[in-house]
Order: sequence, then C-alpha cells, then structure tokens
Amino acid sequence: MRFAIILLVILAVVCSLGSFITQGQTYSWYASRYSERTAALIIALHLDDAFHSWWFILISSFLCLNLFACNLFRIRTLVKRPIGYWGAWICHLGVLLLILGYGLGQMTYKEYTVYGVPGDMMAVADASLAISIDDFRITYNDDGSVEQYTTDITAYNLSVSDGRSRSASVSVNNPADIYGFRVYQNSTGWAARVRIQKDGEDLQEKVVCAGDILPVSDKPDLVILFNAYYPDVNGYLYSVYYQGNILGMNILLPKDVLTIDEYTVTFSEPQTYTLLQIKRDSFTPLAFAGGLLVLTGLFLAFYMKPKEKNNASD
Amino acid sequence: MLQTENTLFTIVMILYFVSMVFYFVYIAVKKETLSKIAFFIQLCGFVLHTAAIVIRGIGAGRLPLTNQYEFATSFAWGLSLLSLVFIFRYKFYVMGAFGSPVIFLIIGYAAMQSREVRQLMPALRSGWLGFHVSTAIIAYGAFGVCFVLGVIFLMREKMKKDGFLDQHIPDSKKLDLIAYRSAALGILFLTFTIISGAIWAERAWGSYWSWDPKETWSLVTWIIYATYLHLRVRRNWHGKSAAIFAVIGFVCVLFTYVGVNTFIPGIHSYA
Repeated sequence: MRFAIILLVILAVVCSLGSFITQGQTYSWYASRYSERTAALIIALHLDDAFHSWWFILISSFLCLNLFACNLFRIRTLVKRPIGYWGAWICHLGVLLLILGYGLGQMTYKEYTVYGVPGDMMAVADASLAISIDDFRITYNDDGSVEQYTTDITAYNLSVSDGRSRSASVSVNNPADIYGFRVYQNSTGWAARVRIQKDGEDLQEKVVCAGDILPVSDKPDLVILFNAYYPDVNGYLYSVYYQGNILGMNILLPKDVLTIDEYTVTFSEPQTYTLLQIKRDSFTPLAFAGGLLVLTGLFLAFYMKPKEKNNASD
Repeated sequence: MLQTENTLFTIVMILYFVSMVFYFVYIAVKKETLSKIAFFIQLCGFVLHTAAIVIRGIGAGRLPLTNQYEFATSFAWGLSLLSLVFIFRYKFYVMGAFGSPVIFLIIGYAAMQSREVRQLMPALRSGWLGFHVSTAIIAYGAFGVCFVLGVIFLMREKMKKDGFLDQHIPDSKKLDLIAYRSAALGILFLTFTIISGAIWAERAWGSYWSWDPKETWSLVTWIIYATYLHLRVRRNWHGKSAAIFAVIGFVCVLFTYVGVNTFIPGIHSYA
C-alpha cells in the first residue's frame, strides 16, 4: 500500500511537470524559451517527451506490477465474500487493463494521413488500402462559423485481388470503420490549380495543397512551393527553390503571371482540400474495457460494500 | 430569452451572497433560525440558478455547457446542489458558512466571463458533450464539498473553543467519513468524465488520450483523490492528512478548470 501511494504521488508530480513543459520541441526551441542550461536539462531528462520517456514507462510498469501483486494476494481473502467487497479488486484490475491497453496500443498502432481534393485517389502507405475522395463539403452556421466538415470516400482493399471497395461518409465526431481501419475527418486547408508553361506551351498542371511542392517536370531542381491562399485578397503565397536554395517568395494574384526564365507559372481555382486520419489501434477495446471495470469497481466499492461501522447519518 | 437569463443570473448572485451573509451571521450570533433562513435562501438561489441555465439552453438551442461562462455557472450550480444535499442530509448548517463563499467565488468568476452565445465548433457537436460535462459538474461539486469539509476538519481544533460551533460540527471521525463520501462520489463521477471524454476524443480527434493539459490535469486530480482514498484505508492516515489531501485535490480541480485554460494552451481551449 505504501509503495502504491508513493507511485501515485510520483505519477501525479511527473504528469503535472509534463503538462507545464511544452512537449515535442527541439533543443533550440527550449533554449530560446528558457535558457541553454535548462534546455539541455530538459533534453537530457527526456522532459521534451515526458509521457513516452523511459522513466515514465518505468513508473507505469511499477504501478502495473504493484496492481497485479495487490490483486493476486487479495483474491484469496475475497472468495465467497459479497460482490461489494470485490469493488477495489475490480477497480485495480480495470486500471491495470487500462494501462496495458494504452501501452500496447502506443507500441503497435498504425496511423496514416491522406489529403486531397474530390477526384483524388491516394494509396495509404503499407496499409493495403487506397482512398478515393468522392466529395468534400463544409457546411456553415448562420453566423458564418463552420458547422461540419464531411468527406465522402471510397476505400479499396488492395490486399484482395477482386478490387473490393466500400464507400463511407466521414465527418468530425463520425469516423468510418473500413477494412479494419478507422477513418477520421481531421482537418482542411486550401488547394489551388498550378499551371506551368514553357515557352508559351503547356508543360504541366496539377491541383496542389498548401504546403506542398511541385517540381518542374523537365527541370526537377526547380521547385514551386504553394505556401498559402488568402481568400480576402484572392492571393496565392508561393516560394521558388532551385537546388534547395530559395530564389524568391511573393503573393501572386490571379491576373499575375510568375516568370522564371523560360517558364511561366499561374495559380487558379482555389478550393478546400480534406485531410483524413487513418488509424488502427487493436488495443483500444482493452483500454475501454479497463475503464468500464474501473467504473464498475468504484461503484461496487462505494455503494455496494456494507457501510463502515461509524455511520455518518447517525 | 437571454436577457431573462442575465436578469436571473444577477438575482442568483445576490441570493447566494445574501445566503452567505446569513450563514456568517448564524455563526456570529449563534441563532438556529438564521441557519434555516440561509439554507432556504440558498435553495431559492439554486432553483433560480437551475431556471437560468435551462433558459440559456433554450435560448442558445443547445446544451449550455460549452464555454468558460457556461461551465463556471454550471460548476457553481453543481457545488450549490451538492452542498445543499450534504447540509440537508447531515443537518450540518455550519458547512454552509464555509461552502457559500466558494460558490460565490465561482459564480463571481462566471460573471467575469463573456456571456455571448456562440455556435458550436464541429468537434463539440457530439452526444457525448452533455454526459461528459454534466458528470464533471457533479464531480467538481462533490470535490468542492470534500474541500469544505477538509477545511472545517483542519480548523476544528480552533473552533472547539467555541461551545456553539463544537456542538454544531460533527466529531472528527464523522467529519472524516462525510468528507470520504463526498470524495467517493466525486471520484466516481470524475471517472465517468474522463472515460466519456476519452470515448469522445477518440471519435473527434482520432486519439482517446493525447496528454492534452486538460486531460493530464484531470488525471492528476484523479490520482490525488485515488491517493486520498488509499490514505484513508491506512489507519494512521485518517483525519488530518486526509483532510490536507482533500484541500490539495480541490486546488487541482480549480487548476484543471481555470489554471490550465489560463497558463497552458491545449486542444480544450474552449472549456
């Protein structure tokens, strides 16, 4: 019991510490925010990724061992006793399953993201899955705020030869389960049609999402980066790179043409793209089963167990 | 309709304040009737508070549980409900004198927030919203009661010198047991809150646990009360130590609610 209490206090302290330090940043980020010495300390102690650090896993493992041992030794004293006495035991089992479910899930989950505009078809890397975006809609409230993002998709199972496919509609809070994966509506952004001509002749044309690059097809060292679209001025922010070095960055209006030597680049047809998250975590049901057991155990312990002798209502 | 809610909210604040004054006067002049009047005024405040929240819900066309103002007023409502239940159940009117300032502070915090009704963002359009937030309100209310009892426990020795208070405050063992019952209710409902939040997060954000500061601090609060429950099982940890943990636990509750939003940015920025 004493060991469990010490572990709980340590866990509370490290969790709160982890919440104060912004997670997943680089040494230079921490150095600019705090000081070089503090940044070095944060990196050395893995406080930049506290909840996945070896010491956090070690504390959690000790807690699991403690819960397992506690339940193992206590079970003999509970046999043939009323269900109320099992509350703490069930609760401890639930916490154990929850930690195991979360930990195993973190070690084994697969996650992918795909994005594009309606008409795009994307293979999901090593997931034997291809996703076609059939439609993407944004609905708005009366005050102009977004009500919902909805993507209609068709998923193709590439692991079978008959080209099996399934269609589904995905929106925020309404993921779709397809071929063992869960597909979530994650976010959206701007895309635009980029047209490149060479000496007045069409060379290439593609819908590019903000943040994506488009290498010039006959001169791959020359790259156009579509940074962002500003609907209020109908302007496209772009950057041009040659052999990894930036040549320039500017905003291009629809009537403007960007000229780079013999090439001309134009942007048009701004449209929203959809970003979908595709995930498989086989241990989520175990974690949720653990959560349900914690609830059941707490209810039994607090409300089904015969009351303490000193009744407070006396 | 929202104007009616505004008016009711102001009346509720006044009623909670008057109730607090009556509880204080009850202790100062040691007259039993005043405690009953204070309780009745708090009850009236609670009924009107319920009406204000319902009217805001009707006016907004959704559950009024989605921003700082709405959650603060609901938090005060939950604490008022739980304190009324515990005062009535244990005939422990002195608790009102310690609980009413906390209710008044929380509703005062609500009064400082923007009362503008905004449309819900897509992530908040979920059936889980009502369950997740309403269980948090009950949990926080129960922890508030536990905090008040912890404070009374810690001040009991000093209050023993006053014969009236000594008579009207349960003995340490009973006080400890009532605090335990409120903590038990709180941790059960906080577990509901965390699990329903995890299920909702999995559907909305694709991950049931992201170590978002709000999630992390809910877990810290859960761990603090779990420690409190473990400490009570140990014979030598009854009483004072448990009472100190009850106070620390509520500080965590307040930090989870106010501190996280103020000091640490995260995906729960709307709450």
